Formats: sequence, C-alpha cells, structure tokens
Amino acid sequence: MEDHEEMSFRYTMIGAAVGIFIFYVGLILSLFYFVGGKGFWEALLSPSTLFSIRLSLIAATLATFFAVLVGLPSAYALSRFEFMGKRILDTFLEIPMIISPIALGAAFLIFFNTPLGELIQNKGIFFVFEVPGIILAQFATIAGLTTRLMKASLDEISPRFEAVARSLGSSPWQAFYRITLPLSFRGLLASVILSWAKAFGEFGATVTLAGAMPRKTETMPIAIFTALASANIDKAIVLILILVAFGLLILYSVRLTGKRYRYD
Amino acid sequence: MIRIEGLTILFESFKIINLNIQIEEGGFHFLLGPTGSGKTLILESIMGLHKPKTGRIWIGDKEVQGLPPELRGISYVPQDLALFPHLKVRENILFGIRARDLDMKSYEEHVHALVEVMKVDHLLDRYPANLSGGEKKRVALLRALAPKPKLLLLDEPLSGLDPSIKVDIQHLLKSLHASFHPTTLSVTHDFEEAFFLGDGTTIFIDGRVEQVGKRDDVFLRPTSKKVAQFLGARNLYRAKVLKNEESSQRLILGVNGLQFSIPMSLYREKMEVGREVDLFIRPEEVMIIREGKLVKDSLKQNIIEGRILDITDKERYHTVYFQTTEGRIFFEISIPNYAFRNLDLSTGKMVRIALREESLWVMA
Repeated sequence: MEDHEEMSFRYTMIGAAVGIFIFYVGLILSLFYFVGGKGFWEALLSPSTLFSIRLSLIAATLATFFAVLVGLPSAYALSRFEFMGKRILDTFLEIPMIISPIALGAAFLIFFNTPLGELIQNKGIFFVFEVPGIILAQFATIAGLTTRLMKASLDEISPRFEAVARSLGSSPWQAFYRITLPLSFRGLLASVILSWAKAFGEFGATVTLAGAMPRKTETMPIAIFTALASANIDKAIVLILILVAFGLLILYSVRLTGKRYRYD
Repeated sequence: MIRIEGLTILFESFKIINLNIQIEEGGFHFLLGPTGSGKTLILESIMGLHKPKTGRIWIGDKEVQGLPPELRGISYVPQDLALFPHLKVRENILFGIRARDLDMKSYEEHVHALVEVMKVDHLLDRYPANLSGGEKKRVALLRALAPKPKLLLLDEPLSGLDPSIKVDIQHLLKSLHASFHPTTLSVTHDFEEAFFLGDGTTIFIDGRVEQVGKRDDVFLRPTSKKVAQFLGARNLYRAKVLKNEESSQRLILGVNGLQFSIPMSLYREKMEVGREVDLFIRPEEVMIIREGKLVKDSLKQNIIEGRILDITDKERYHTVYFQTTEGRIFFEISIPNYAFRNLDLSTGKMVRIALREESLWVMA
C-alpha cells in the first residue's frame, strides 16, 4: 500500500515536470507546420529580417555592456558594504521586474518631455524613436536584473579571500581583480549571458520608446509583432525560430559556464 | 614588539572593551576566549579590516592604526584558511611576495626553507581542492609566512582537523615557531592548544580581559573563578580561611569541615581569618598515594582519605572520581595511563590522595 502511494506520488510530480516540457516543445514544433514554403525562405533572407537580427544583436550587446558597467560595481557594493539606504536601493532594483515594460517605456517618453529630458535630447543624444532609445529601453529593463544576478554571484565568494589578499599586500582593487573577479567569473558570465538574452527579447519598453519603424528601430521582437499585424506569417515564424535558436544557444552556454573553470 | 592598546570594538552584538596586548619580538601569544566572544573580530580589527572605536596598534615603534591592511605587514590565517582556489599551491605561497612587489630572489631561500619544514614540495603544482585538511593548513601557514610578516595572526589554527592530524600540525607549528620565530598572535577557545604552543596568554571573557600572563601563571594560578571555570577547572571549592598561622607562615582553609594547609608565601594579598575564598587545584596535580610508598615532604601537609567512586578511560590518561571520607568533597584526578597501571585502582576502593601544596591555588 505504502509502495503504491509512494509510486503514485513520484509519478504525479515527475508527470508535472514532463508536462511542462511537452507544453513548450509542442509549441515550438507547431511552428514547423508552416516551415519550408517559398515564403519562408524569402522571409528568412529578406533584408528587413537581416536588419532586425543585426539591430537586435548590436542593441542587446550595447545595453548589456552598459548594464554590466554600472551593475558590477553596484553588485559589489551591495554584496560587500553596509551603507545608508542599502535596503531601499536593493528593493528598487526590482522595479523594472515588477512594473510592465510598457509603463517603463511610457515613463521614458514622459521624461523626455520634461525640461531636463528635452535638454538631454537637444544638446546630447536623441532617444525617442531612435536607435539609442532601443538601447536605453533595454538597459532600463535589464540593469536591475544584471545587478541582482551579479550580486548573487559575488555573495557566493567569501569576503575572507579578499581579507587574506589584503593582508598579503593587495590593494582593494588588486584583491578584486586578482581574487574576487576570477573566483566569481562563472557566475558573472552567466549573469551577463542571461541579461543579454533578456535585452535581446525585450519588446514592451523598446516599442514604446523607440517605436516600430521598419529598417530603423525594428528589433526582432518588434518585427515579429509587425509581421503578425500585417498577417506575414512566414516572416513571423522565421523570426520566432531564430529567437528560439538564440534562446537555446544561450541556455546551453549558461550550462557550459557551470561546467568550466573548475580548479582541480 | 607588538603593542595593542585600549582596543575597543563595538560591532553588531559584539562589545570588546579596552583590550591591551603586548607581544615580544618572536613571541607566541594566545588570546583565549569562549566561542562567539568576538575573537575573529579582534584579529580583523588588528589587521585593519574593521575600524575599532578606539585603540592604537604599534608594530615595533611604528603606529599602524591609520594604515590600510596591505601596508601593515600583518599576515592572517583565517579559520577557513581561504586558500585561493583558482591558484596552484605555488602561486598561493608566492602571492604575498608578488602582491607586495618584493624582490623574489631575496625571498627564495626563505621560501625554500619554509617549503622544506612544511613538507609541501610535492604539492606545489596542485590546486587547493586536491589537498587534505592537514595539507591545506600547512599551505595556508606557508603562504602567510612567505613574505616575512612582522606579525602573524592565526584564527583557531587547529580547528577542524582530525585528532591525529591536529597533533601533527600542533608539533609543526611549534617547530616552525622555533625555527623562524614569527611574532604570533593566535586566537582560540582551546586552552590545551594555548598551553602547548603559547608563551603568553590573554584570557578574554565577555568582551573583557580577565587575566594576562605567562602560560603557567594563567593555567595554574587563575586570578578569578571565571577564568578558572573557563580553563576547565574541575576541583573548585568555596573555602573559608580558618587560621592564619604566622609562626609557620601557613594558611588553614576549611571546606565542609575538611582542612587544607597552604603556604602563605604563594599570595601577595593578606588573607584574614573568616574570609571566603575559592580554592582550586588542577586534576593532574592531585596524586593518589601508592600503598607502602614514602610520601615527599611537599605532599605531607594535605593527605586526605576517601573512596573511588568511578574511573573513566580517556585517550592518554584515566580520570578517577574520588570522594573524601571527611566532608564528602569530590575530586577529579587525572592520571597518565602508565602511572594508572601501577596503582591498582578500582571503583569502591579506599585510597589516600595528596595535594601538592604549590599547586593549591586560592582566589580571593
């Protein structure tokens, strides 16, 4: 009796896990129902598709670069130091994760209509309905996440390593790049990859701030949306499959970061 | 000489008040206190990782209180060792010399000598993950000593080791100190460790220094009941001064009707009749008299009869639980195994014990 109960418990749990897997795989496989037609190849090789891919790659990479530039020192500060307002700051990192991306994009639109926003646009860079707007929207979406993920990686490295390095003559900077950085490298790399993936797939904030102008601000997710809106199913499928391929590649590389750099 | 003066640290729930420590050049000083008393915090403050509320630290005649950790010349071996896992043993060992940009050539001989004493030459190309617990300790000590620090800080240097390896490392530390004379401050809660290795000891309880002194002074002559209890004192009695014999220069103390005779010369303080004091003798200072054997003069003053209640067998010695016939006072007696075998003791047996008078200690 107990054996039976244990088995049914086990199979219910595993069944749920397998169910989720089938759900996603089935969804992706269903796309292939339309693959292979003439329209499919045309869409794949069309200049606007290639433009979207290139724009998405460049924008996501730049957004990630800036997010790491700010996120890594912030993550270190949150992980290692006690300072006033630390809790509030930490909580605020979740803002982009909990508010709708469209709201985030709309907030930017409104900001660029304030005197300060207008000054920035007139004297500096133009963001609204421009490529820098894509990078800014993606940056805003991922910066909090990047910081959070990097903080988690740094938290795993005992501050004692740095303490010893300091006692042996390293300055705080040296202790950071000789000890903490290499030790947390795997985690930091995974954080970068996941942040990049999040930026790469960002839609809501980007479309609100940068618009959906073909061959100008049309990133891949935006291109999928416009393709669907104009009933271009072939193009939508091509773009979805490319996004899925990138996604799988990313998951695989994150797995790899877990395997490499073991010291034994 | 290392001088730490008036160190006061207030950090989270820790409160360390007015800590003073002096260590002679080449000395091995122990800061001994219960677990969770903030000992690691003290080391980190000396190192410069925490800013103490007050206090000054001198290394030689240079005050280092205002300096960052990397400029203090203090090496630190934390309890978890913190060997850099991404660096090979060789790189770990040379880390301090490289980080300080020191001339590698002038350190070569010193590092070679250390590698030899520590017996780690076959481990140099391994990563720390592939070392045993004892090997890790040796590498961590070597890494700390390689850049010739002016002060070596050890945090519980023998914790987390198997008993046999612990003995090895303990001897290694002793010979290491004898050969290289690093001025060392070690914190521990293990008084056996401090007794074996240290030449000076500071007893630190509840955030305050309770006693400072040479090793034997602290262990055999604690100044308070608190210290005696922390040091694991077993035979501790509340006694009353019954007589103050000026003629023979002896004090007579009474515990439960039983009398103890102690030479006055051991105490600076005057012990007036009627005063209540704590009487203490370490279990290994109590002797069981072998039948028919002559008793030395220093033992004759305090011979007590009683019965053995129980005997337990520890690794290197036996513990005999004894109760006096008069006064029904319990004594715990430690006897090395070789001596125990000659005594023919058993539970229930009536025997006589003798207390070495120099080992009886009174705390006012």
